[in-house]
Amino acid sequence: MSRRDIAFIISTLIAAAALAVVPTITTKESVINLLVLVYIYVMMASSWNIIGGIAGQVNLGHAAFFGLGSLVSRILWTKGWPLSISLILGALVPVAFALLIGAPSFKLRGVYFAIGTLAMAQILFITTRNLFPMISSLPTEALSTYSLAPRYYMALGMTLLTVLVVFWLSRSRWGLGMVAVREETSAAESLGVSALQHKLLALCLSALFAGLAGGVFAYYSAGYYLFFPFFPTWTFDAVMATYIGGTGTVIGPIIGAVFYVLVKEILALRFVELHPFIFGTLFILVVLFLPGGMIQIWSRLRRLLVRKSTLAPSAAKEEQVPETNMVHDRPAVE
Amino acid sequence: MKAHIKFSAIAAVVLVLSLLLANCAPATEAPAPTQPPTQAPTQAPTQAPTQAPTQAPAKPAPEAIEIGASIPLTGKYGSLGVQVKAGYELAVQTINAAGGVYVKEFDKKIPIRLTIYDDESDPTKAVSKLESLNTEQKVVAYLGGAASDMHAATVPIAEKNKVPYCGVSFALWKIHQQGYKYLFSPFPKSPTQAEDTFKILNASIPEGQRPTKVAIFQETTDWGIELGGLWKENAAKYGYEIVDYETYAPRSENFSDMILRAKAAGAEALLAVPNQPDGIAMVKQMSEIGWTPKFMLLIRAPENPAWSEALGPLGDFVTIFPGWHYKMKWPGVEELVKKHQEAYGRPPDVLVGPAYACVEVVADAIQRAGTLDRDAIRDAMAATDLPMSMIGPIKFREDGTGIVLNPMVQWQKGQIEVVWPPEHKSADLAYPATPFDQR
Amino acid sequence: MVETLVQNIVFGLLLGALYGLAAVGLSLVFGVTKFLNVAHGELLMLGGYASFWLFNLYRVDPFLSLPLAALALVVVGVVLYLLLFSRTVKMDEEQKVQTTMLIGFGVSVILQNLAQRLWTADDRSITTAYSRMSWTLFDIRFPIVRVVSMVVALVLVIALHQFLQRSYFGKAIRATVEDWEEATIIGIDTHRVYLVAFIIGAALAGMAGTLVSVGYSIVPSMGLEWTLVCLVVMTLGGLGSIIGTFVGGLILGVAQALTAFAVGGAYRQVVGLLLFLLVLAVRPQGLFGVKEG
Repeated sequence: MSRRDIAFIISTLIAAAALAVVPTITTKESVINLLVLVYIYVMMASSWNIIGGIAGQVNLGHAAFFGLGSLVSRILWTKGWPLSISLILGALVPVAFALLIGAPSFKLRGVYFAIGTLAMAQILFITTRNLFPMISSLPTEALSTYSLAPRYYMALGMTLLTVLVVFWLSRSRWGLGMVAVREETSAAESLGVSALQHKLLALCLSALFAGLAGGVFAYYSAGYYLFFPFFPTWTFDAVMATYIGGTGTVIGPIIGAVFYVLVKEILALRFVELHPFIFGTLFILVVLFLPGGMIQIWSRLRRLLVRKSTLAPSAAKEEQVPETNMVHDRPAVE
Repeated sequence: MKAHIKFSAIAAVVLVLSLLLANCAPATEAPAPTQPPTQAPTQAPTQAPTQAPTQAPAKPAPEAIEIGASIPLTGKYGSLGVQVKAGYELAVQTINAAGGVYVKEFDKKIPIRLTIYDDESDPTKAVSKLESLNTEQKVVAYLGGAASDMHAATVPIAEKNKVPYCGVSFALWKIHQQGYKYLFSPFPKSPTQAEDTFKILNASIPEGQRPTKVAIFQETTDWGIELGGLWKENAAKYGYEIVDYETYAPRSENFSDMILRAKAAGAEALLAVPNQPDGIAMVKQMSEIGWTPKFMLLIRAPENPAWSEALGPLGDFVTIFPGWHYKMKWPGVEELVKKHQEAYGRPPDVLVGPAYACVEVVADAIQRAGTLDRDAIRDAMAATDLPMSMIGPIKFREDGTGIVLNPMVQWQKGQIEVVWPPEHKSADLAYPATPFDQR
Repeated sequence: MVETLVQNIVFGLLLGALYGLAAVGLSLVFGVTKFLNVAHGELLMLGGYASFWLFNLYRVDPFLSLPLAALALVVVGVVLYLLLFSRTVKMDEEQKVQTTMLIGFGVSVILQNLAQRLWTADDRSITTAYSRMSWTLFDIRFPIVRVVSMVVALVLVIALHQFLQRSYFGKAIRATVEDWEEATIIGIDTHRVYLVAFIIGAALAGMAGTLVSVGYSIVPSMGLEWTLVCLVVMTLGGLGSIIGTFVGGLILGVAQALTAFAVGGAYRQVVGLLLFLLVLAVRPQGLFGVKEG
């Protein structure tokens, strides 16, 4: 492990520890609620990033994993199963689903894969809506004793887990293999890297953490329609958050998710009527002018500084660094 | 070109950051983004005005009573939400014009400050908006949004936060059966609607001419299932027979198979709770297939003027249970019509009245509670016995459902007319419906 | 029973024609430019509103307002292309697909909100004097507006096909699809080709919107659903194949109708999607698509 890696892990843990004390210093439940939403989005974006960013397969069916996770966890948990087992099964069922659909869907390339996965998620959405049309709300006794703190820590802990696993993955042989498959499938295969194996692993991990996020959502929500987490906007939100932050990087989806939720929320509170305009415009600006996501700001600033302090040659060299490539984004981690 | 892009990028980032900063800084400022200017007495920042006022009697009166709502102003329920918002705002305006609500504890009238957020018809957002109303504005009561599935998601939050919740525009009965203590809804509920359907038919149409063969198009949503089942249960008791019972998912474009089966079964009446696009599509396809039920009760879809705009004469003869209508003869309705006309240039839509009444219920409860303590207000609300409101007398049952009138209205010649109850009638029930191709 | 079945299929076909027309626009744009414009459903919505207001305010017959809706969408298309989509022209295919998809997300958020602000969230629909009329043939009903809509869709699709096959510009477009670098070398202005393809796609979406507003109803939030349908139909028929896409729409419409007939309305979309996945599994290039490389 390099010094940079250790620095990343330590700073992540410090950040998590800092966030862990939030419930003790604020009594504002809305802050806690907002943070829980942020955590769910971080998990969704980070987990989508495994298949969509690192392995480069634009999966538009992510909501299916999230939905399955929340469906399984919620039903088991409200039926009286222990929470931990409900959550674990809620994470495993999406993995099973990923294994089931993985091999056939990876036969599809590019847009076909994207639309095929979208169609699969839609099938699950409609079926769930038909099978479970009733709202799932907690019984009154549970509501009167509802406490936000354990939900907050659960969300924070799961998010931390997700981030650390993605970090580990990005540094592992498997992760590098995924990048290789993304960049040059045939070359990777000729070097003995099985494209299918790597993609499948990426999809399963992605499903696992999206399922966990679904479980957190199920545990957190006082009442919701069971089909709601299957709605395609969950996928699109995760995709947008990931791209805003920077795909294929560890830290990009985190930044993106935080930015996405906070900006939307603040805009919605401030400009009740106009907020979608402002948000849409902001989003397009980021897509067009920061194609590598917001973590690009960092490398741009750095380049600017480098150019100022040293002479042209080194700056010119920086220019060639492909900013979205995960192997090169390590500076952003610091 | 490169430099240009780079500059734009930096500009975008600066814009984003400054927006963030601008929004974070004045967090304590009065938020109420959609307050009509008339209602807030001052614009000065408030310091937590409504802390449990039970302790110190010498405590100064807060400058406003905080009430909040998260309403679907945009998205698929936007057309309902804007009606509800108008009702709330007009009611608050009227109350504040008279100085506000008298609160005994402070021995003075305190104006209401209403904070409304838009949840975009997204239940998750509605939940987070209610949470922030609870912690930021410290509201003493929630007003509901619109549509059964939005309420279903927000009601548990009120229960959890122990904030009294008064909502209209939902007939879902099941939600009242979960033992919620803080939920109140002065709006007709499914069991009433199901029985009234047949009662009204029997009262308005002589025996022998009644549309006794009934088709039900049941939407697969919780309210659709509930009311569909209740219709089925009650039909026989009143001498009706369900000859066709169809289920469909919301937003189906093609209803021809259902219509054909209902037609083949010889159905004379159609009962359904379609959303607006489905309702429009149903009627269009019925007219094309040439099936005109003699009686149609389509709750929800025809509840706003867009119905007749979209369908013209095809939209006539359809009946609704809207909870209220501006042609009803309650005192105060005339005044409301005038105000709504001034503000929006047309008479109030059907949800404006019930929404208005919601605010009346809350204000009345606060006055009787004599304090701004939420539990005291909740208890006062449960004991509500309003002799008169915008929707007539209001009392609540144990489960929080309102004992209120359930008027039936009907589209006639592009206008909505009240056809039930007789004392509020503006027209007779038009029956049987003229076949679509003769209109 | 048989009558109901046949009637169902007829309605399915008539709806499928709209699916087809809507998806053809998306398919053309994607085939030529590799823009995955997920705001296509919103363009359709705008076209629907253009016709709705022309009808509502000036009593312009919706079928006469088709060219006006197309024109309105051409303007929107030009603006969107010059302001946003043109910036992605130089990207490689994969990046282009992703970037335009994201731009599309942003655009759809903005357009949907715009429509809501301007025209409220109410559902709108055009009902003309002849809306309730149907032709009857062997007890099967053929609603006039839907039949005319289908004819319009068919004419537009065939016209587009002919345009691509015969005209100089059409040939330029096809040459660009084959190899844009080559096309540039032989003097084709790819920027212009892209622009033209994009605005044709927008115009088709607009006209499909008009037909939807006559037969069904329109609402600001309709975009996502129609985009999803278009994506499925486009893939079903084969990316970039105009006639194939249209046939794909018909197939989806009929499949949905048959499902509704057999297992009830609640699952009509599911079977359509399953069929789509099945086709993808067997022929990843779509029913009528040509296998790449």
